[in-house]
Amino acid sequence: MSARYGMVIDLDRCTGCGSCMMACASENNVPPLPQATARTGLTPMLVRKASNGMEGGARREVFIPIMCMHCEHETPCVKVCPQQAVEVDKATGIVMQMPQRCLGCRYCMTACPYHARYFNWWDPAWPKGMEKSLNPGVASRMRGVVEKCNMCHARLHTAKEKAAAAGKREIDLADYVPACVEACPTGAIRFGNLADPNDAASKEARSPEAFRLLARIGTEPKVYYKSKEAWVRALAESKSGSVPEVKRVEAGHAEVQHG
Amino acid sequence: MKVSRRDLLVWSAGAAAGLIVTPVPWKLLDDTSIWSQNWPWIPQPTRGPVEMKQSVCTLCPQGCGMRVRMAAGWPVGVAGVSSHPVSRGALCPLGFGAHQLNWHPQRLKTVRHRGGASAWGDAQAAFAKACKEGPVVVIDGYPGRAASSMLESFAQKHDGGYRVVLSAETRALTPYEKWSGVPASALGYDLENAKTIVSFGAPLLDGWGAPGRFTRLWAERAAGMNDPQLRLIQVDESLSRTASRAWQWVPVRASAESALAAGVARVLLEERLVAWRGPMPSLTLAEAAERTGLSADAIRDLARTIVARTPAVAIGNGIDPEIAALNVVLGAAATPGGIVRRSKRGAAYVPADAAMPSVRAALIDASVPWDFAPQTDAEVFRFAAWDGGSSRADWLLPAPGFLEELMDVPTAPTLAAETYAIAPSLTKPPAEVQSAAQFLGGIDPSLTPVDKIIHSRCGNLFHARAGTLIGREATPVAKIASAQALEEQLQKGAVWVGEAARPGGWRCELKEWPAAASGPPENLTATWSAPVLPPLATKLYQESSLREMPARRNA
Amino acid sequence: MASAALTDSRWITRGEERTSLSRFLLWLAPWTVLLALGAYAAGLCLYFGLNQTNMDNRFAFGLWIFLDLGIIALGAGAFFTGFLVYILKRAELRPILNTAVVVGFICYSGAVGILGIDVGQPLRFWFTFWHPNTHSMLTEVTFCITCYLLVLCLEYIPILLRNRQLRKLPSFLVFEHQLHKLVPVLAGVGTLLSFFHQGSLGGLYGVLRGRPFAFRQGFFIWPSTFFLFILSAIATGPSFLMLVTATVEKVTGRRLVPQEVFRRLGFISGSLLAIYVAAKSIDTLIWLNVTSPSVGFAPWQYYIYKPFGTPILFVEIVLLGLVPAFLLTYRKTAMRRGWLLSAAVLACAGVLLNRFVLTVQTLAVPTLPFDEFLQYTPSWQEVASFGGVIAYGVIIYSLSYRYLPMFAPSKGENTNVSGD
Repeated sequence: MSARYGMVIDLDRCTGCGSCMMACASENNVPPLPQATARTGLTPMLVRKASNGMEGGARREVFIPIMCMHCEHETPCVKVCPQQAVEVDKATGIVMQMPQRCLGCRYCMTACPYHARYFNWWDPAWPKGMEKSLNPGVASRMRGVVEKCNMCHARLHTAKEKAAAAGKREIDLADYVPACVEACPTGAIRFGNLADPNDAASKEARSPEAFRLLARIGTEPKVYYKSKEAWVRALAESKSGSVPEVKRVEAGHAEVQHG
Repeated sequence: MKVSRRDLLVWSAGAAAGLIVTPVPWKLLDDTSIWSQNWPWIPQPTRGPVEMKQSVCTLCPQGCGMRVRMAAGWPVGVAGVSSHPVSRGALCPLGFGAHQLNWHPQRLKTVRHRGGASAWGDAQAAFAKACKEGPVVVIDGYPGRAASSMLESFAQKHDGGYRVVLSAETRALTPYEKWSGVPASALGYDLENAKTIVSFGAPLLDGWGAPGRFTRLWAERAAGMNDPQLRLIQVDESLSRTASRAWQWVPVRASAESALAAGVARVLLEERLVAWRGPMPSLTLAEAAERTGLSADAIRDLARTIVARTPAVAIGNGIDPEIAALNVVLGAAATPGGIVRRSKRGAAYVPADAAMPSVRAALIDASVPWDFAPQTDAEVFRFAAWDGGSSRADWLLPAPGFLEELMDVPTAPTLAAETYAIAPSLTKPPAEVQSAAQFLGGIDPSLTPVDKIIHSRCGNLFHARAGTLIGREATPVAKIASAQALEEQLQKGAVWVGEAARPGGWRCELKEWPAAASGPPENLTATWSAPVLPPLATKLYQESSLREMPARRNA
Repeated sequence: MASAALTDSRWITRGEERTSLSRFLLWLAPWTVLLALGAYAAGLCLYFGLNQTNMDNRFAFGLWIFLDLGIIALGAGAFFTGFLVYILKRAELRPILNTAVVVGFICYSGAVGILGIDVGQPLRFWFTFWHPNTHSMLTEVTFCITCYLLVLCLEYIPILLRNRQLRKLPSFLVFEHQLHKLVPVLAGVGTLLSFFHQGSLGGLYGVLRGRPFAFRQGFFIWPSTFFLFILSAIATGPSFLMLVTATVEKVTGRRLVPQEVFRRLGFISGSLLAIYVAAKSIDTLIWLNVTSPSVGFAPWQYYIYKPFGTPILFVEIVLLGLVPAFLLTYRKTAMRRGWLLSAAVLACAGVLLNRFVLTVQTLAVPTLPFDEFLQYTPSWQEVASFGGVIAYGVIIYSLSYRYLPMFAPSKGENTNVSGD
């Protein structure tokens, strides 16, 4: 039975610390780019910030970890890549990028509405000797190709090897934990098999507080978000969605409306 | 036979056409794609046997448990340890890049004397000479370790002082020293039993204490809940990360935390919302309202909210006597859910920034924050693994880097119980490095070396028969077979946790309301103290807009 | 005075007069410098990587793609004129045919050259041919543009072989003659290929589900932008040819084609432009009222960013669409050279604006609700590379004009305003 690996990220728990970003970069041999900016950086996991648009005491903010949404339907990047350097893995639902085949035309980057793809504008380079600290399970890339989150596929590979060594056909999901899920200090990122109705993440994805970003575009992303706050859930839509007001109790002291 | 130009043209055209049906051009095309994947300058990971080892992160005194994945003897990845009683599986963002620090371009590899290269022999000679000529002060940034014990012994023998840079979280407990006689480093916050926490700007969810301690607690008891078991009230000038996740955010004007604490205390005392009786703050409610920007009603509401669910405790950023006094008013001093005494230690540390007497030399351990500069004209011998730049030290001495030396991990600041752990070294340090403790051991061989101190500490723990050893399972020390077994477990990653602090045994006497804090509160997240950041930290600062690059406190 | 002056008169078509070699070289000099600068900038990009440009993860496509789409649209005059002359037998456009081929060759070879540096791994160019993705518009574009460039080369070669000296080689003469017989076939093939790649260039953006600003419904697998791009290309291609010929006439000081050709080109351009404006208006209305709202994007939110407000729609469709369409077809203005050329400029500007809106504005406009509207300014390397392409075009055309019979024997004084 094929799996559909996905995530549910509890935005009420994300504190915007950035541990997931660091763990992802470390696991996936992403080079440090001190010369980059927020527009040219290489961050397969990126935590962004959104607000309810108000200022002063009524302002509310939320941190939103963004990575490849592993779109299931009419996956934009898969459809547009001229040399099929990206495909949806039938067995897992993971959208797999092959940097070795990538031409670097960046069409997939224009196609992705979540801006989850990153280009190697520079040659990946580490200070002298630091290559010894690279994760041997992940191939390093080269300049001029696109890369993105691949759901820590190297860890899936390790889990498969472990299962195979024990003579099992299915992996134990406890052995396959992506780096960001492992790193989160509040447990905000939950990972699981969305195709399994008994999976905890799968159940959370079906709860009424769960939503997906830009769901109406229809790409069926497999990364869900959830929040008790209505204004956060309104972020599922583009700016046309209305943002509920925060009730002001008095100047300088506002109360949050939950629900 | 004459070859005409035309013949040449015809032959060339024929050759070109013929070449297309040979494998040559196609093989060349195929090769180009292989070349473009395998240029010699593309870095390749090490190949070699992979194993998981456990240690403790030593970048800061919190001592988070750390699992390190090693390949061919080098660390290639880190993760938290879920069974660790302090960090509970979490690491801070910088911890995830710590394993690459040892190759940071600013790694100190040779002894430097006033900007030029030098040698250990020269440094030793100079230091030995300084010791003979006058008192030497020793400054430690991570007190309580076995190495600290060596540093302190040396300082005592040489009539210098032993001074300590305490973490900001511990410094916030300094006011209680005066009121109770118990040193700040013996106190902790019993957050696990608190029901309401009022944080005056302390970034509880963003870099305060061990990252996992409060974030896990908060995630379990408060995150996303309409009626949380743990109410976090964050007093902050702007919407910080902690404020945006808190149950309630109280926006105040800059540097008005003290005034708010005083205002709240006044309300609590005037309306008799607490059992404690004692001196009233000098600030009136109206003045507090004026300073904070809140209305008097808002301050009253806040006071009532704080005591609605008790135990309640207040946490400040840096040394703020009025916030500490608020805790006394709340009855949070020396009670569960508030400030507790976790160790019997009686002597307070001398802070490193206290006025320094005239000394001949100062020795600064590698654990001291980079921006700390001793106010002295003495010859400064500074140990560091990385050169953070603009150092005023006369001697820069290369120390072991991340997980390159055996260390022990004393009780983490702010914890409610004592802890002890060992951080084994996982990689060999480069030949030229030496820690301050080793250096002093070389100068004075009578000092007990670090590994022997650790050994005897394990022995003491065993013989005290108190506390629990938490590894894969929790085992009371009373049930452990030998001191040897205890030490082995600690080497493998277990953590000794002392008994929870018992209430009583000490008390705070507040004879008069303290004066307000001098100077603005410290900003824990906007400044940083390490000499360098892990290379991957560019993801947080330069390559995204998640965080602003922090400023050095003293440039 | 010894007549040791360097001369290349034996290369110049018999019966034609051209300026002296030294003046010609003087004319070429600044363009050569520009070309060298462009080559240097391109070299920097190839050697150091694309960090030499100001493109970034949010503006993954920048000046180069915009200008590529622009010059391919303007170069559509090549295939369309061929189509009109050989398939529809409109012989009155013959005088402009050679120019059309050379302009087409310049536009397409220039575009392919820029694409070579616009990709991160140019050595892997052949992957698209070896692992083609049948769902991707870009695969289609790559195939068709490469094939069409080949067609243009094949159409250019007969013109090249008509050079006075090259004609002397009998095998070349025979070759040229044989090729000439092929030309109608090439014109047909060229039309087919161009239809598809002009369309696919529009399809590149119309299929982007993730960019509701560009996303369009359409017919079967082709979004409406597929057809709109073809229409706008064939509408403005002739205008561009008109402008190129008029410029050459101005520079050389000669009347090279009958005025009637201009009027013809203008009329064709104007009529097609009118159809395009109608189609575009309908498409825009559908997009504003149906397509965009259906994916959750209210159209007003695209236009709240200065200076990219709704006036851009008005400029593109009315000022640079309807107005030139009118001027090019209305008898009174179409008779006057000045109006014709101004209208042609407006039409070409219109197609460039359309390409700009679809390539650059699409990327600037936010998709996620917490995105911002982004700015992008090309770096000097990007501008210089494109300057190099323009210089390349001027040089190729100048050489073609000097040494090849581009036009029927020219009348008019040799006033030698500047250069050739």
